[in-house]
Amino acid sequence: MRALRIGFLLGFRQVQRANFWTTTLIIFVMMLTFLNLIAVSGILVGLIAGSERAVQDQSLGDIIITPLDNEEKIIQTETIRRTLDTLPEVSSYSIRYQQGAQITANYKTRRDFNIEPNEVGARVRGIDPVAENAVTALSNYVVEGEYLEPDEAGYILIGALNIDRYTAGFADITGSLTDVYPGDSVRVTINGASQEFTVKGIVDAKAGDVASLVYLPEKELRRLSNSSSRDADEIAIRLADKSPATGVAVKSILIDQGLDEFAKIRTFQEALPKFITDIKNTFNILGTFIGAVGIIVASITIFIIIFINAISRRQQIGILKGIGINRSAIEIAYVLQAAFYALMGSALGILITYGFLIGYFDANPIDFPFSDGILVAEPIGTLYRFIILFIITLFAGLIPASIIVRQNTLNSILGRK
Amino acid sequence: MDIIKATNIHRTFGEGSLQAHILKGIDVTVRSGEFVAIMGKSGAGKSTLMYQLSVLDEPSQGDIEINNVCISTLTESERTAFRLTTLGYVFQNYALVPDLSAEENVMLPLLMNGYTWDKAKDRAHHSLDNVGLEGKYTNLPAELSGGEQQRVAVARALSGKPKIIFADEPTANLDSVSGTQVIDLLVRLHKDNGQTIVMVTHEREYAMDCDRIIHMEDGQVTNIEHLK
Repeated sequence: MRALRIGFLLGFRQVQRANFWTTTLIIFVMMLTFLNLIAVSGILVGLIAGSERAVQDQSLGDIIITPLDNEEKIIQTETIRRTLDTLPEVSSYSIRYQQGAQITANYKTRRDFNIEPNEVGARVRGIDPVAENAVTALSNYVVEGEYLEPDEAGYILIGALNIDRYTAGFADITGSLTDVYPGDSVRVTINGASQEFTVKGIVDAKAGDVASLVYLPEKELRRLSNSSSRDADEIAIRLADKSPATGVAVKSILIDQGLDEFAKIRTFQEALPKFITDIKNTFNILGTFIGAVGIIVASITIFIIIFINAISRRQQIGILKGIGINRSAIEIAYVLQAAFYALMGSALGILITYGFLIGYFDANPIDFPFSDGILVAEPIGTLYRFIILFIITLFAGLIPASIIVRQNTLNSILGRK
Repeated sequence: MDIIKATNIHRTFGEGSLQAHILKGIDVTVRSGEFVAIMGKSGAGKSTLMYQLSVLDEPSQGDIEINNVCISTLTESERTAFRLTTLGYVFQNYALVPDLSAEENVMLPLLMNGYTWDKAKDRAHHSLDNVGLEGKYTNLPAELSGGEQQRVAVARALSGKPKIIFADEPTANLDSVSGTQVIDLLVRLHKDNGQTIVMVTHEREYAMDCDRIIHMEDGQVTNIEHLK
């Protein structure tokens, strides 16, 4: 207790009387270290989190219902629809029908039958344009032309990945349509039945399959595929509260009502493609590794700062020992200094992260090809990183102080080696 | 009664052909309440002797007993605690902590001795008053003259009421006026409190108020001069 009191007095006064700019510089370095710890791994994880968010917002919704493993369609789709209509937690849902199709363009102007036709194989998603827009805001992703109007017929939306000017060199692999623009006619062929549609818009988005699909009003798709069944391929559900906990709760309600006998019910997290989860885990490991390097750099920085500080006060340390101040008190003084630098640097880092960076990246996500990268800094993760940084900083302060304090008292006083 | 008893003290530095034999078998005793000066030319070994007697260094050979405690049996931490409770120091370069005010410098050993903050502060103020530094409590060392800094050092040495005060050339860095003031202060404290003081100096005029002068030359005591 005595050592702590004296250590606190010495440490506090050293910090108080230290050169303002030196202290500012040290705190700045600590702040950068903290930001490196939080922001670098946060952005790496944020790339995938951005992708997840995009998949949730643009494709899967908060809960996704798909056919059981041994079924091709969702059984009792109408029963599920009626149940969803009764749940206040559900803000909207979109019943989707899907079919494989061949899309052909420019067939009217094709003169030479020796060259390949301008066509592409694609999945057609039959939607209620209003319901789909309520769940995924699909109209926001129309990059050319316009979105489908309710109850109109004869129009189609084409995903950008089916059009060569959007595929950026991947056309040879995926196949694509050339010279197709809104207003052009395309022929959709499903199981040998064909119908001509006018391209109303081109849809492009980074998430999931949004840009690879072709969209028709569901009535048109069922008519073309000659299907009288109302059983759907997917039901994407948007909840009023998008939090994972609500998703789990609503899924439980649906299961309690016996709907899992008709279809597979999954929250968005459960339905995420495995590669996203794998990349997320890999980036987490990478972020932790970069963070660990950051911590090592921070501890070496603190070590050097405290070592220089202690060695420049070696004579003073000798005198303190000479007049009877014990080793612990002197060591505590330097550990407290290190703690002060770590606390101030981390506090500034936290302020910048939560007060500015997260909001900034949310508003201005980093434009990556597969996602809009945001900064993810979960408070609990930040707390763990802070605790690790703080503890390591204390040791980085203690070790050099201890090295100097352990030196012979008289040699320290006289400045002898 | 002898408060310091040093027997056959040797101190060597280095090894082999580079070995320097600084103290060569010194026997010294200091009685309780005595004011002793150690004098000698530069390199005579007077400071080295004082470091042995003041438990700042360990002799290569020989025994030192202070206040009936055999110093060679103490561990490093026990020696630190012993210095805190039994000895006081005045160094030639004042040896104040530059970040602490005058009162905080004086309070340090008191706090280490277990005084409460308020009690330590009262005691520090009293000690500073005693050395003529009323109103300078909150001044940093850099805001004080050399003489004033040395008086803070004396106040710090005295504040814990140690049994022995060691002063290593306390006037070395002071002008003659300040030097005389510090010596007068030590003499007064010795007279008023009966404090045992061991002082190293190379100026005879500062040693004239001592009880004894131990003269040294080439690592040996050459003469003991009794002044009183």
